[in-house]
Amino acid sequence: MRIRSLVPLLVLILAAPAVAQVKLLNVSYDPTRELYQDFNGAFAKYWKGKSGQAVTVQQSHGGSGKQARSVIDGLEADVVTLALAYDVDAIANSGLIPKNWQTRLPNNSSPYTSTILFLVRKGNPKKIKDWDDLVRPGVAVISPNPKTSGGARWNYLAAWGYALKKYGSEATAKEFVSRLYKNVPILDTGARGATVTFAERGIGDVLIAWENEALLAVREMGEKGELQVVAPSVSILAEPPVSVVDKVANKHKTAAVAKAYLEYLYTPEGQEIAAKHYYRPRNEAVAAKYAKQFPQVTLFTIDQVFGGWTKAQKTHFDDGGVFDQIYGAGR
Amino acid sequence: MRHVRFWLSCVLLTAILPAAARAQENPPPQPAPPEPAEVAQDQSQPPQTVDEKLEELDQKIRVLDRKIEIDKEAAAEKAKTAATSTIDKSGFTFKSADGAYQLKIRGYVQFDSRFFLDDDQKPAIDTFTLRRVRPIFEGTLAKIFDFRIMPDFGGGTTVLQDAYMEARFNPAFRVRAGKFKPPVGLERLQSGTDLLFVERALPTNLVPNRDLGVQISGDFAGGITSYQVGVFNGVVDGGSGDGDTNDEKDVAARLFFQPFVTGTGPLKNFGFGVAGSSGNQSGTATAPGLPAYRSPGQQTVFSYRADGTAPNTTIADGRHVRIVPQAYLYSGPFGLLAEYATSRQDVVRGAVSETLDHRSWQVAASWVIAGGEPTFRSVNPKTVFDLSAHTWGAFELKVRWNRLDLDDSTFPVFANPASAIRSEQALGAGLNWYLNRNVRLLFDYERAKFDGGAAIGDREDEKIFFSRFQIQY
Repeated sequence: MRIRSLVPLLVLILAAPAVAQVKLLNVSYDPTRELYQDFNGAFAKYWKGKSGQAVTVQQSHGGSGKQARSVIDGLEADVVTLALAYDVDAIANSGLIPKNWQTRLPNNSSPYTSTILFLVRKGNPKKIKDWDDLVRPGVAVISPNPKTSGGARWNYLAAWGYALKKYGSEATAKEFVSRLYKNVPILDTGARGATVTFAERGIGDVLIAWENEALLAVREMGEKGELQVVAPSVSILAEPPVSVVDKVANKHKTAAVAKAYLEYLYTPEGQEIAAKHYYRPRNEAVAAKYAKQFPQVTLFTIDQVFGGWTKAQKTHFDDGGVFDQIYGAGR
Repeated sequence: MRHVRFWLSCVLLTAILPAAARAQENPPPQPAPPEPAEVAQDQSQPPQTVDEKLEELDQKIRVLDRKIEIDKEAAAEKAKTAATSTIDKSGFTFKSADGAYQLKIRGYVQFDSRFFLDDDQKPAIDTFTLRRVRPIFEGTLAKIFDFRIMPDFGGGTTVLQDAYMEARFNPAFRVRAGKFKPPVGLERLQSGTDLLFVERALPTNLVPNRDLGVQISGDFAGGITSYQVGVFNGVVDGGSGDGDTNDEKDVAARLFFQPFVTGTGPLKNFGFGVAGSSGNQSGTATAPGLPAYRSPGQQTVFSYRADGTAPNTTIADGRHVRIVPQAYLYSGPFGLLAEYATSRQDVVRGAVSETLDHRSWQVAASWVIAGGEPTFRSVNPKTVFDLSAHTWGAFELKVRWNRLDLDDSTFPVFANPASAIRSEQALGAGLNWYLNRNVRLLFDYERAKFDGGAAIGDREDEKIFFSRFQIQY
């Protein structure tokens, strides 16, 4: 067989014409829809000016844990922008992302932060002021399912951290959180679903919510003034992480634009967009500009109280963990 | 929903009010307060007024509604990721939600009759036969890897016809490996279910049937140009193989053009090209590596000399080259298919060697007189046979002229002119009735005239009436 005669043909075939337009898929968690709608437009304009390449960013949203599972199972995300590092770690453990992903971007690859606040009805009829008010009998609390929602895990850990700090022992913290979840009549799969349950379906007295989700809901329903934010005395510093999904991006030949997409989150323009959507910016100048819109809350980190996400996940949210014990027992 | 909520309110009121009354008489014990005491303080009161009780009921109903809503959303989400199974005219299909994994189970059965007329000198057996009985298992793995397995139980024997896998990297580059049809004969590349006549025409005698090998293929510019190039074990003309008898391999290739395929004009289904194969074949006295050729009625009308001894057996001994220019046109109700095949093979018998060049051609025309339009992939009837609706499916008239010429140098050294024909020419015509996409009837009459092939004069003409009842899914 004359192999040489086939070489030009193979070269011709393999040298397929370059794609004129590049597409990215950003797999994100529930409440970031509006943020990335704005951000994607700004980035497309920036990237067109910088490289001349037109970029279209598609978005996928859902509970953070569920989204991570989808990526592991084959959803071809070029980048992930999830609610917690544990979910990105899970993707890294599947081999799609290097294990050192958190070191590749500033601030542990977390371009913005958030925290957990309360959303109550007009006039705060149940007089919700702090976490203790959420465990009172007769107070219906809305919070999504920590098994599927990253935001819900932050909620849970914020409550636990408060109880641990105030009452001093793991046992009282467990009892506290157990009583809190007895007051939860519905577990939505994601933070956005929980907001719908509370704000649109009129269920419950208090929603434990992402700060950005709570502030957005107040703004959206501002004309009616039906909701108001309550900041607890203590809450948790949530650091939603981002990462390129290297194997997918390399396969799609989008690694460079995907990296630029995430780096743009750290620019003053990207930080400004985050702040407008009530995410706390890392950039000090932007943070100072928007400081008034964020309530003053004493914040603790997951590392300080729980020893990091891996430990927290294993203790509280893995099958048979503390959440299963308290929620199963309470139903 | 308001009515439902009203009645649910009534039911819940009926259930709750007496309980509430009992509760006021005998208040339940409070849950054990956690440490410290302030957490345990119950600052709320059970509902006292009717408004408060209605508010509580309203919340319960809202919770129930929302739970139903969430369940529906979860069911819808689950449906997106759930595998599907369908049964339709294309067979049975099992598919993952994202389409990355598929299994299709299809198949077809052809029940034929062959009746030979005026077969006085060379009596042939009039018979019914199960020509092809082929279940087909096709699938896709991880989006781009396809496979196909097709055994054949026709004639009461079991043959593995197709068993291959194919990777679709892009439309211009696919890789196939296994047992399948080498890309040479045009009519041979048509599926057995799509044939215009019951049996393929004479050029198919000169091209390979199925072989083991590796092939790359692809389409450019939306199918305007397509190609296949492969390396195969090599088989005799008309033959299939499941292994090899020597180290030599055949290269087969085909280049085909459909210049108007992306348009909508009358030449959209016009295609032409050329195919061929080249390799070295060598045989032995007991396995000569040479073919026999058949008549339209599937009677063996040509074979080389062979008695199992080297001096009296013609043996393949070197280069075997096939070239097959080919074309088709399907426009409106009319179809036309033509191909020309040459098969040049080095042979030896004892001390005498020769290069023999056999040739064959065919021209087949069809006219769908009602109910559909012809394509290379058969006729899709516009209506299905349904007596109550007075619809009849599609009907197609057909005619075919085909010829096979053996190289003059074949005789008398390499083949016995008293039993092997020098040429044959056949004219056939008939009617196809497509009851629907799955069922069709074929009726053919074909007459073949032979030169040679008899001790005195020519072999008796073959006049044969075919019919086929075909069901496929």
